[in-house]
Amino acid sequence: MSIVTWARTRSPWLIHFNAGACNACDIEVVAALTPRYDVERFGALLKGSPRHADVMVVSGSVPRKIRNRLKRIYDQMPAPKFVVAVGSCAISGGVFQNCYNSMDGIDKFIPVNAYIPGCPPKPEAILDGVVKLLISAGY
Amino acid sequence: MSIEEQQKFLESLNEVGVTEAKLRRLNTAYAKTSRDKLLKVVEHLKDKGFVHITTITAVDMLEHYDIVYHLRNQGFALNLKVAVPKDDPKIPSVTSILAGANLYEREVNDLMGVFPEGHPNPARLILDYDWPEGLHPLRKEETIEGLREKADKAIGDLENE
Amino acid sequence: MSDRQFIIPIGPQHPALKEPESFYFTVDGETVIDVEPRIGYNHRGIEKAMEVRTYIQNLYITERVCGICSNAHQTAYTGSVEEVAGIEIPERAKYIRVFVQELERLHSHLLWLGVAAHEIGFDTLFYYVWRDREIVMDLLEEISGNRCNYAIPTIGGVRRDLNKDNFPRWNKLVDTIFERTEYYIKVASTEQTILDRAIGVGYIGKSDMIKLSGAGPNARCSGVPCDIRKLNPYLVYDQLDFEHIVVDNGDVLGQVLVRALEVLESCKILKQVMKDIPEGEINTKFSPLNKISAGEAAYLVEAARGELIHYTISDGKNMPFRHKIRAPTMANLLSLVERLKGGYIADIPIVLAGIDPCFSCTDRMVFYDEGKDKKWSWTEDQLRKYRREWFEK
Repeated sequence: MSIVTWARTRSPWLIHFNAGACNACDIEVVAALTPRYDVERFGALLKGSPRHADVMVVSGSVPRKIRNRLKRIYDQMPAPKFVVAVGSCAISGGVFQNCYNSMDGIDKFIPVNAYIPGCPPKPEAILDGVVKLLISAGY
Repeated sequence: MSIEEQQKFLESLNEVGVTEAKLRRLNTAYAKTSRDKLLKVVEHLKDKGFVHITTITAVDMLEHYDIVYHLRNQGFALNLKVAVPKDDPKIPSVTSILAGANLYEREVNDLMGVFPEGHPNPARLILDYDWPEGLHPLRKEETIEGLREKADKAIGDLENE
Repeated sequence: MSDRQFIIPIGPQHPALKEPESFYFTVDGETVIDVEPRIGYNHRGIEKAMEVRTYIQNLYITERVCGICSNAHQTAYTGSVEEVAGIEIPERAKYIRVFVQELERLHSHLLWLGVAAHEIGFDTLFYYVWRDREIVMDLLEEISGNRCNYAIPTIGGVRRDLNKDNFPRWNKLVDTIFERTEYYIKVASTEQTILDRAIGVGYIGKSDMIKLSGAGPNARCSGVPCDIRKLNPYLVYDQLDFEHIVVDNGDVLGQVLVRALEVLESCKILKQVMKDIPEGEINTKFSPLNKISAGEAAYLVEAARGELIHYTISDGKNMPFRHKIRAPTMANLLSLVERLKGGYIADIPIVLAGIDPCFSCTDRMVFYDEGKDKKWSWTEDQLRKYRREWFEK
């Protein structure tokens, strides 16, 4: 395994994007940073810029207005990049399926590597999902 | 204000053009007025302490539209309904009297298509910028599937930027 | 617009706050002249969707209007529907609804306190506060099975009961939160780093706030008494003993004080509920096929962020004819614009965070220099670094 792959899987930098979510998934993602769940012990940091990130964590049912931004942020991430869909809304639209402004799931716009179901998923589930993704990608 | 005082106050509103004023329980009242008396009524209410506007609701009652103004004077909430005919969907803007009504009137314009005349900036608020003109989601004639089709056709596919 | 003024769009992706919203700032040098909020990135078409679902199905949609104040939305929704249907809920159900509502207020204010500390640059306080917030999340999980979106109120009462064997332990947990919040209030009002960045920042006066119909702790920090729990009590708030917290500061320090003091009042309310809750039924039966008589009702609730209204109109079927929701942050947008005007660019994150907004603000900040036709991007981290350097000058 090359040193770059080793570094990448040992400390993934995350960026979080809220594509029109109700915030429950988002606060669980932030709660994963806090002392009880502490995602930083895996070397994962929550960064602000897509240019610095390896993994994009997306929540939300994608209202029409935001779909271009979602694609744009994805395009700005340097390869190799991974996308994690957190919560039922990001997977399929959740409760908001068939609402007139909701695009029902992010995999219509960007390729998704991991799906974490839940409404919202607990921080432990989010960590579990991210770690599984890295294990499957790194080795 | 006690219930009796609130009841008396509601009766006094009949002089300015408020009809069907009913006090349902302490601190909650429902009333109606007409479109041409709306500005005078809101001015009068503001003088009497109704300086807070909670929100403005637009309802499609099939034969006409109803615009409901939810005003509040400390704890006393008054819901004022105004009927607007469907062939002339316009209503005078109360933003000059109650500055807080600014965003709510824009939302009503976006979602129901009732235009606030005299509003300082009646631009689109909630819907997509390329959402088609004239397509108002909350109207009863629009169905959810119909809206999705029309919007997808008008806005088109994801642009590749 | 003079040559020195530029328009800076901020949004909709922003690490500071967790929701999308876009602002266009007109700036002159370092000072903000005008702000135009552009919302709608979170518009999912909920009101239209509610018209084609039964009243019980709508419980689950109203919960997810906002995951942080989900219980407030459900309380207002069930309150308005019960008023139209003429359903009177049992006393025990009212106390349980108040209990969960106050727990939600605790978790929301502690969340905000941590986020505000993070914006000021005080990350230690952020981690401490969110660790204490976990106590509240555990309580919520014990009661309902979920940390967010607890689905406790239903039409006719509540879905789950409280077990009074747990009350002694819960009382101790509430006491812990009370003590720790008192400590945070002491820190916030004496720590110079916080005071420098909070006093005078994002100021708005009482008369402006009344004119713009602000709501919630944002209005109460400028001296406007507007707590619905005191002015127009619902459920059992008229029988509970707590204070109406209003301060005069009008700036970010006022926001911190109001919310921290409200946490203390909520702890008092929780203990009173545990002491006074009567025995009895927790709900009256209501099935998804039940029709509701025609009528209308508007119900006001004090959510953690402010005054929340649900207005429902029924035409005699088992689905609502029209349901209107106005969340508290929309009431605070106009006063947010006034707070930002006249301030520095460096203060934008803390003032935005200060109103406890309930939409996402994204990070992309594009500076467009009209004269030189140059564009460059700043991320939130760069803005924070800029702010720190600015304050060190």
